[in-house]
Amino acid sequence: MRERIIESAKEIFSSMLMMDLSAIEETTTEAHPLVDSISGVIGLAGTHKGVLAIHLPHRVAIAITSNFLGMDVDAMNSDVEDAVGELANMLGGNVKAILSEKGRDINLSMPTTISGRHYDYQPNKDAERIFIQFRCEPGEFAIELQLEK
Amino acid sequence: MGKNVLLVDDSSTMRKIIGRSLRQAGIDFENIYEAADGLEALEILESKKVDIVLSDINMPNMDGISFLREKASRAAIKDIPVLMISTETGDDIIGEAKSLGAVGSIKKPFTPDKVNEILGPLL
Repeated sequence: MRERIIESAKEIFSSMLMMDLSAIEETTTEAHPLVDSISGVIGLAGTHKGVLAIHLPHRVAIAITSNFLGMDVDAMNSDVEDAVGELANMLGGNVKAILSEKGRDINLSMPTTISGRHYDYQPNKDAERIFIQFRCEPGEFAIELQLEK
Repeated sequence: MGKNVLLVDDSSTMRKIIGRSLRQAGIDFENIYEAADGLEALEILESKKVDIVLSDINMPNMDGISFLREKASRAAIKDIPVLMISTETGDDIIGEAKSLGAVGSIKKPFTPDKVNEILGPLL
């Protein structure tokens, strides 16, 4: 699953953002407080239950939104929230496609975003957690998937 | 007279990206209308001349499948072609969309070339 998520993220960033992406091999899986960040979150329900999230520092999210829209974005606003939600949506769709070939046995929630100066995103202790740190030109960000065991 | 397209997606970012992809693919529409869900899309279809609809599936209020079903029941708009653009790729969901009249599907993420390859022959 880890490799498939990396492939998905690279595909999304190269095709929609014209941006190269690399996964950072050495990474911690411990939850850390998120500082000046935004998280796009999407839930999976059905035969597999879980949550996928993408966590981006504000400055990375702003740069990515600028690429997404093809115009300068210089501050956090509703466009950035919408773009991060759409990233979570595309990643969630790819995870759903990996887990469910037919498509009807897993439902995706609508994407939501959380943004703040300092917040915690705590993993469910009973869930299998995949945490991947990525690096792109504007900086680093993380994608995590928690699946109920 | 140029053709008109309706983009249906709850993400305003995605609507902008699709519009930009159309331009990058060299597909020139006279008017690009936008709707955030199936309900808004039906209102636009009833009031504007639209030649083709590009629609997401997972949306609040009225999703893409319900939109197709409702559109098929309205004589004045039932023949307007709809191409799905969605993260959904499952055979069941895409099959249902096609059974309700969708003429094809494009998977998100996509490139302008992919949009041109699938949408071009429909215009």
